[in-house]
Amino acid sequence: MNIGNYYLIVAIVLLFISFIKDKERTKKALKSVLKISLNVLPVLFFIFVIMGIISIFVSRETIASLLGSKSGIIGILLGEIIGAVALIEPAAVYPFSGTLLNKGASYAVIYAFIGTAILIGIATLPAEIKFLGKRFTLVRNLSTFIVIFIFSILIHFIM
Amino acid sequence: MKKLIKEAIIYILIGLIIWGIVFLISQSKGLEIGKIVYKTFAQTIEIILSVFIFIGLITAWLTPEQIAKFFGKEAGWKRFLIASSIPMFLGGSLFTIFPLLGTLIDNGISYGVAISFITAWSAKIPMIPLEIHFLGINFTIIRTLLVIPMAFILGYISEIILEKIEKRKFKLTPEEIAKEELVLEEDITQIQENNNNDK
Repeated sequence: MNIGNYYLIVAIVLLFISFIKDKERTKKALKSVLKISLNVLPVLFFIFVIMGIISIFVSRETIASLLGSKSGIIGILLGEIIGAVALIEPAAVYPFSGTLLNKGASYAVIYAFIGTAILIGIATLPAEIKFLGKRFTLVRNLSTFIVIFIFSILIHFIM
Repeated sequence: MKKLIKEAIIYILIGLIIWGIVFLISQSKGLEIGKIVYKTFAQTIEIILSVFIFIGLITAWLTPEQIAKFFGKEAGWKRFLIASSIPMFLGGSLFTIFPLLGTLIDNGISYGVAISFITAWSAKIPMIPLEIHFLGINFTIIRTLLVIPMAFILGYISEIILEKIEKRKFKLTPEEIAKEELVLEEDITQIQENNNNDK
């Protein structure tokens, strides 16, 4: 049995417990599962196509020289910038990173990419400014970018 | 819901167009991409589904109202501690976190705590099965654990900077929040009603 089956069993058992404890809440949970599926599955399809394109058309050497462990600080910065500008759904970040990793990107660069892909987004800036203010947005995005850079260097040395 | 369906169609269309272009260039490469898409879906569909269910359950059981309650009684560094740990278990995207944080700030948490909150949320514990599958267990554990000190540091630094320069004056309305979808409207309305009752 593959590992996915175990996760699914755990998820279904939890769903069942939730249903016994509170039917209303479980209905709400299923409603958000439906919303998340509608939101994320199309993005995943799109990302899987992009992953296919990278696997076929981009050579291992290109990725390794741009994002590999020898790319150093430039590679980490590049990873961070790609993560920050990419309009990417968190659930799609891991599969996409997996492709880059298989193609020779280093863990430090992947760490940088995941960090900014989840936490910084050019596309989410308007929403952030609207809900949290300009100065908050500026300080958060800049400080996050810098701290992720420092942590990526740490990853470079431990992995 | 309409916005979600529109976005879903756009993503699928763009994906299909790109795939179609590859097909035009080379049929065998187009087929290969089809195989990769199918294989990745087939290998991960159970993981993806269970991750969705985890997130759905957390959304239903850990409501914004309860999160606001966690911060209600605590003060000082304890708020940083809560903000650097609890959000690790939340799902969603930045679009769902911003309105939630706006509401929490209206409820009295500080900017630094809010920044710790977002950073800790990047751990994305409900998605761990997906992360392990694609990036390996060692990387996943290290990344997840490092989120805690990172959330602490970022929150602390930004608190110092933002206390000096930020003055928040506006308040959010439930309608504004509902527009961003995914956050369940009634949850936010609930917090704001409680907020008004307190005054």
